[in-house]
Amino acid sequence: MMDEAPSAVPLSFSSPSSPEIPALVPVALPDELEFPEDKFDGEEDSAKAGPNAPSTDKSITLLDNEEQEAVGITMITGYLGSGKTTLVNYILKEQHGRRIAVILNEFGEELGIERAMINEGAQGSLVEEWVDLPNGCVCCSVKHSFVQAIEQLMERRERFDYILLETTGLANPGPVASILWVDDQLEASVRLDSIVTVVDAGNFLRQLHEPREAGSVTEAYLQIAYADVVILNKTDLVKDESGHSTLEKIEREIKSINGMVKIVHSERCRVDLDDVLDCKAYGIKHSVDLEALLSKPVDDNVHDSAVKTISFKLDGPVDLEKVNEWLGNLLWEPSDKMEIYRMKGVLDIHGSGEMHMLQAVRDLYEIVPTRKWREGDKRINHVVLIGKNLNKDTIIEMFNHCLVSKVLSFDP
Amino acid sequence: MGCAEQESGNGTTDGKKEQMDSGSAAGDAVLACVRCSKLARLQCPKCLELKLPRANGAFCSQDCFKAAWGSHKVVHAESKRAVIRADNPQDQIAEALSRGWLYCLQKGQHRSGRAPNFDWTGDLRPYPISARRFVPENIPRPEWASNGNASAEQYSELQNSVEIKTPEQIQRMREVCKIARDVLDAAARAVKPGVTTDELDEIVHEATIAAGAYPSPLNYHFFPKSCCTSVNEVICHGIPDARRLEDGDIVNVDVTVYYKGYHGDLNETYFVGKVDEASQLLVQNTYECLEKAIAIVKPGVRYREVGEVISRHASLAGLSVVRSYSGHGIGELFHCAPNIPHYSRNKAVGVMKAGQTFTIEPMINAGVWRDRMWPDGWTSVTADGKRTAQFEHTLLVTETGCEVLTARIPTSPPVFPWLS
Repeated sequence: MMDEAPSAVPLSFSSPSSPEIPALVPVALPDELEFPEDKFDGEEDSAKAGPNAPSTDKSITLLDNEEQEAVGITMITGYLGSGKTTLVNYILKEQHGRRIAVILNEFGEELGIERAMINEGAQGSLVEEWVDLPNGCVCCSVKHSFVQAIEQLMERRERFDYILLETTGLANPGPVASILWVDDQLEASVRLDSIVTVVDAGNFLRQLHEPREAGSVTEAYLQIAYADVVILNKTDLVKDESGHSTLEKIEREIKSINGMVKIVHSERCRVDLDDVLDCKAYGIKHSVDLEALLSKPVDDNVHDSAVKTISFKLDGPVDLEKVNEWLGNLLWEPSDKMEIYRMKGVLDIHGSGEMHMLQAVRDLYEIVPTRKWREGDKRINHVVLIGKNLNKDTIIEMFNHCLVSKVLSFDP
Repeated sequence: MGCAEQESGNGTTDGKKEQMDSGSAAGDAVLACVRCSKLARLQCPKCLELKLPRANGAFCSQDCFKAAWGSHKVVHAESKRAVIRADNPQDQIAEALSRGWLYCLQKGQHRSGRAPNFDWTGDLRPYPISARRFVPENIPRPEWASNGNASAEQYSELQNSVEIKTPEQIQRMREVCKIARDVLDAAARAVKPGVTTDELDEIVHEATIAAGAYPSPLNYHFFPKSCCTSVNEVICHGIPDARRLEDGDIVNVDVTVYYKGYHGDLNETYFVGKVDEASQLLVQNTYECLEKAIAIVKPGVRYREVGEVISRHASLAGLSVVRSYSGHGIGELFHCAPNIPHYSRNKAVGVMKAGQTFTIEPMINAGVWRDRMWPDGWTSVTADGKRTAQFEHTLLVTETGCEVLTARIPTSPPVFPWLS
């Protein structure tokens, strides 16, 4: 209150200017009002949309509906010239009765503006459109804006049956894969189905071993490591000479990096679409390769490349909490430059009658009960890891601590 | 406000420059010149006439006043707001529009005089919002204050790895979180039927700048106001507007302040007048969800466990957990790693370690968990229009457990019956 006395001075001083104030205020107000008037287009959009209202209507139906199955995304990676685009075009033209959207991720890991091509059904034409990614505010939003953008794309059109995501030549598929591996709980309208890597048989070995600075590996390694399917393309071009042995060598090389991958040979990317679409390599709900994993012997590679697959089997129930600790150490606090790209496994969890499945991509993992152990099942822990600088002995020794059998034997 | 508590004063090296902080917040004896930050001895007569907060109209000299007039006078136009008192919604909206208030659109980047169309999920509707509030030039501001852009935050390495804070950083966190608590308490005291959420925003804004802090939400990715006010079916990020709170409403006020380079973030949900029993249970359960989540915080606990605890407690009461928004790391950045979902079976990365600071902020719904976004691009509402509540604290992991940096203090208003 005391302060107000001196303020009388400015009062008298600026009162000449205060008539100016009311004059200014009305100017500012209509001014502000005019801006939005111009912008009414944008807003009218939603008003006009009333009758045909594509997006709003959709979200209502999405709300109350019977659970619609999420649309699968196949991510296609491979070096420039390997035949990625040929593969995409082949899939689009092939009569498969599916409506497929192609999203081109031309900026690699920087998920900027995307170009999308949409195949309007069987004999439909290709439509191209730009997808404007909601830029920015990750403000405590759980779904990455890239996933939201794809979901928006899905809403804008009538439904697609499938999405192909074509990445740039030199992209490491890991970051995008982990973004797309959305928690089931979020019930996203899209799901990562699988990663398909196209390889040029004639150039692969050279690309793989291109010199790199110490400690890092070429993208070719990473693209193989993350792949669920490798399309070994242009096999016709290596066959003539000593073709057969070259292909064998390439296959051995690929298998040593990724012991779980399925290898498909092709010329000009002509492949059976069943090998590429709907592989259901991610997520438990969809996983079909569980039984396969149980039965298939995964061969560890003998020679010691930087990126490789290791696997182990261990009898006896394991403690879930300890397995979680083991994974936390392995994925979040790795020792000795170890980097894990991908993990799959079957676990015999102590105290549960259900088989559990383990999946990991980079630092993300989940352990989920799948089905009841059946009579005749061999209860076992079987884990496969793909990564860099993996130390098998350490990994197994750490896992051994998860076994509960020893503890049980002390029980009276 | 904030005159009482100064407990945490032990063991810090700074404090020389800040002697007057708590004082300036309390009895506005010391004000800085809006233009040059020197001690102010004069004030703008127009501001006085309009009864505007003195901090925005304080000057050291006539020269500074003259020089600042061009930018300063905007404050008067803004203040045309005063208080909206019309009785029914139509008149309220008309009155707000006549004062130049507009509807917010496109994530805060556009305004319109016409109400947007939407298939509203509940009874609540957006109202026009007032003009942007002024922050004195002497208050240090985050990167987005001028252009809405938070790209340094977005592309920071701290989005990928969780920082272990140094004792100095932790002290800053304590300081800013205490301010945030005081600011929220000021808003809580004002909650009652008839008050507009814009008035709550004004209280938050004034209390924040009086403490020498910047209201972090203001212009963050173009958010137009200084706090979020989320009424009834609004899950979070509601924009303070001309709507008057009604008897029986519940309203969440979410405050974040930025002080000496650090952010402190908290929110609470309040009852407006007499609230039905279902809403009381919802709000209390949400409070307990946060309490139970905080109880497990200590080094070695996986971040994914937080969602399990919250989900269990909410579903026991037949309530659902919002999945689209999560807790977050906080410090020099408003939002950073870790990401802490509140739902079960999430794949959150990492294990808690001493020295990490983050928020937990469960949003619990009476009906379905799903959310929808209003045309303003911010307001998140329940898909079924049923009510939703939220509580939030900023936490520090300590060697033995955790410290609730934004904890209630003895002066916090006793607004939650289950605490008394």
